Amino acid sequence: MKISRRDFIRYGMTGLVVAAGTTALGRMITPRRNGNGTAIVVRLAITEAMVEMVDHTFIYHWTFEDLGNPAHLPQLPGPLIQAIEGDPIELSITNRLPDVHGFRIPGVPGETGTGILVEPGQTKTIGFLAPEGGTYMYLDHLNEPVNRVLGLHGPMVVLPRTGNTPYSRPTPNVQKLFDDLGTAPHFPGEPWKAERTRIWVFHSKDPRFNAMAERGEKINAAVFREEFLPRYFTINGESGAYASHNHHTTPEGRIGQPHLIRIMDTGMNADSPHIHGNHVYLLARRDTTGDLNIPRNVLLVDTFTDEVAQCMDWLLPFIRPPDIPGDETIPLRKLVKDELALTLGGVGQSPIMFPMHGHNEQSQSAAGGNYPQGMVTGWIITGDLDGVDFPPSSPEEKGGPPMPHDQD
Amino acid sequence: MTLPRIPLRSISRDELPVFNKHVCPPTFGGGPIDPLTPTRRIARNLLVNLDVELQDGTKVPVWILEDPDDPVGGRVFPSKTIRTVEGDIVHARVGVKTNTHTIHWHGIEPTPMNDGVGKHSFEISGNFVYQFATNQAGTFLYHCHKNTALHFELGLYGAFIVDPKKPDAPEARGVPDPPYPDGGPGFVRAFNPPDHVMKYDVESLWVPDDFDTRWHELGHDAFMQKCDPANPTAAENFTQDGILHDFRPDIFILSGEAKRKDDTTPFEKAAIRCKVGQTVLLRFIDATYTITEIRLGLPAQIIAEDGYPFGVPPRGQYSFPIDLPAGQPMRMTAAMRGDAFIRPTTPGRFPCTVDFFHWISGKKLYTATTFIDVE
Ligand SMILES: [Cu+2]
Ligand SMILES: [Cu+2]
Repeated sequence: MKISRRDFIRYGMTGLVVAAGTTALGRMITPRRNGNGTAIVVRLAITEAMVEMVDHTFIYHWTFEDLGNPAHLPQLPGPLIQAIEGDPIELSITNRLPDVHGFRIPGVPGETGTGILVEPGQTKTIGFLAPEGGTYMYLDHLNEPVNRVLGLHGPMVVLPRTGNTPYSRPTPNVQKLFDDLGTAPHFPGEPWKAERTRIWVFHSKDPRFNAMAERGEKINAAVFREEFLPRYFTINGESGAYASHNHHTTPEGRIGQPHLIRIMDTGMNADSPHIHGNHVYLLARRDTTGDLNIPRNVLLVDTFTDEVAQCMDWLLPFIRPPDIPGDETIPLRKLVKDELALTLGGVGQSPIMFPMHGHNEQSQSAAGGNYPQGMVTGWIITGDLDGVDFPPSSPEEKGGPPMPHDQD
Repeated sequence: MTLPRIPLRSISRDELPVFNKHVCPPTFGGGPIDPLTPTRRIARNLLVNLDVELQDGTKVPVWILEDPDDPVGGRVFPSKTIRTVEGDIVHARVGVKTNTHTIHWHGIEPTPMNDGVGKHSFEISGNFVYQFATNQAGTFLYHCHKNTALHFELGLYGAFIVDPKKPDAPEARGVPDPPYPDGGPGFVRAFNPPDHVMKYDVESLWVPDDFDTRWHELGHDAFMQKCDPANPTAAENFTQDGILHDFRPDIFILSGEAKRKDDTTPFEKAAIRCKVGQTVLLRFIDATYTITEIRLGLPAQIIAEDGYPFGVPPRGQYSFPIDLPAGQPMRMTAAMRGDAFIRPTTPGRFPCTVDFFHWISGKKLYTATTFIDVE
């Protein structure tokens, strides 16, 4: 398979720019060429913004802004940088804040990987070739973890130039897994396609430290590590119902349309992300030094330990949920038609939606409660293997009234 | 200077129901939907109040799921283990005694209405019969999925083990038919061809857990958002003074035995008792809100994670068993499971530890010690 730029991916839309009317501009950086037409040009500013939480509290953050986007608005997490391995990238960072800031992409060779400093008011430009295929986190590495956690982080995705996996040097078992998708009897359907990718940037925040940054106070990294108590948990900048019902975050497809999920933890807490409906294959993990570990042993799990400041890729196989009882040759739209026809609480059971959530369940809270308004999203099965979508549910409500919550 | 704002996206009228259902699922009962003839029936009621007693006699209140069909052993902490057989079609009758709850069969993958997550289906008021197959033999768990931060911590969980069928082999003589007895002997799905089942003599279940006793004073709906179908995202619906983000464990538990953080005496109840030459199957279920590291006093072989065996085709063929040398840590977090073989070759008492680390600072909070006792 030859990778092309048509394979580029969607990404969460929080903080998106809503123009007059309904047009929404996405958050990704559209690859642009420089004057000679030879390099992808990325121009980022380091700036500040007030970011709205799920309970409508506004919290001060340091943020990136895509200067190539005419709307000139800060974004959290930072805009997605995408490239194909070997693409020349020309990246400039403008520091609009009053203190020195850093920029680093662990895993990229040279100064980009070790980090550069940008003085207040200055612009620095670095050039590099898009490194090997994989998921990368860019961040301000100064005063680690403070500057990263206060908002200066974002994703970079590099696709390999050739091959049918997300990696330039897949191990034999990773290669076999991707070769089998859509060809082996246990993976009926289609092979993985690069556009069937989602990025999940996990983040957590303790507003007390954001308030210190807003007041211009210095934050001691040791104190920050010691006292950090996350009050909000986000995926791609959103929490709870917002993150669960955003088509740019939730993988969607019919049975047999496998998706890659590129996860990075930009916050302060380890979590235990758990997915319902399918187990996932654990692919490459990138540690904080930038080293990429592509596993020889590809485990199939429903829960994994997500470590701070690391990246992890999942392959969600989109198989028919294996514990639905009944004849496997009968499409689900017939086998479970009564369920698909139901509408409960104003929401149809068609299409099928499963959650993904942190199982360190503290991460499911917002402002100390309000379950499940934390680090949660989901995925959607829209139809059967034979290409037929599930019929819509009957509009007739079948659920009973919800129990009102007793307030403590 | 006013700073630029990054607002939440605005919600259309059409999206109001899903935003409302996210925090205030409807109730439902009866079932099963799309019924098939079951090969196994199980039942659980929730919730039942129980006390976990510490060594000094202090009682910590917990919530459990009871097996109403077992008047003798049906009320225990952790909740009584469920065992089914690979290939079963299960009807699980769930009775809800107070308010609303669900049961999620963690790692088992049926349709959403049988998956027990309210926001993608409903919460049970009264009774409901969940229907699912158990097509993969391995170690799973079941737990309530309402206000889960609180309900899982308060004890609404138990082990769910799916046993493979007994092979037609000489070594199967003397082993009862599945579901196998808790503690062994039995068979487990594992890597060896051609049948991919392996025998164990002794089975042990280690379930690390931790309590923040402040949480054990809270009510069922503690710190939940108010329901407002017309305006589900309104700021005034949110509580601001909860503590469900602030987990400070002061009691540590291994398989139901609970100790204060300053009590370093060993956990004798979890100790594995076996003989030289036997095969021990140790199943771990992490029920903590911390990070745990398990160190065994004897070498082990990890054969499965999250209910799925390594090296078993077709979907497990990209993996293989992992050797775990004695004393080397296996790191786990909430709701992960692991299955390990231990094959003792010499008699003795071999200490094992479970370290608990804080989920944010990574600081070590407690070390639980237990043993493998080999005769
Ligand atoms: Cu419950
Ligand atoms: Cu669970």
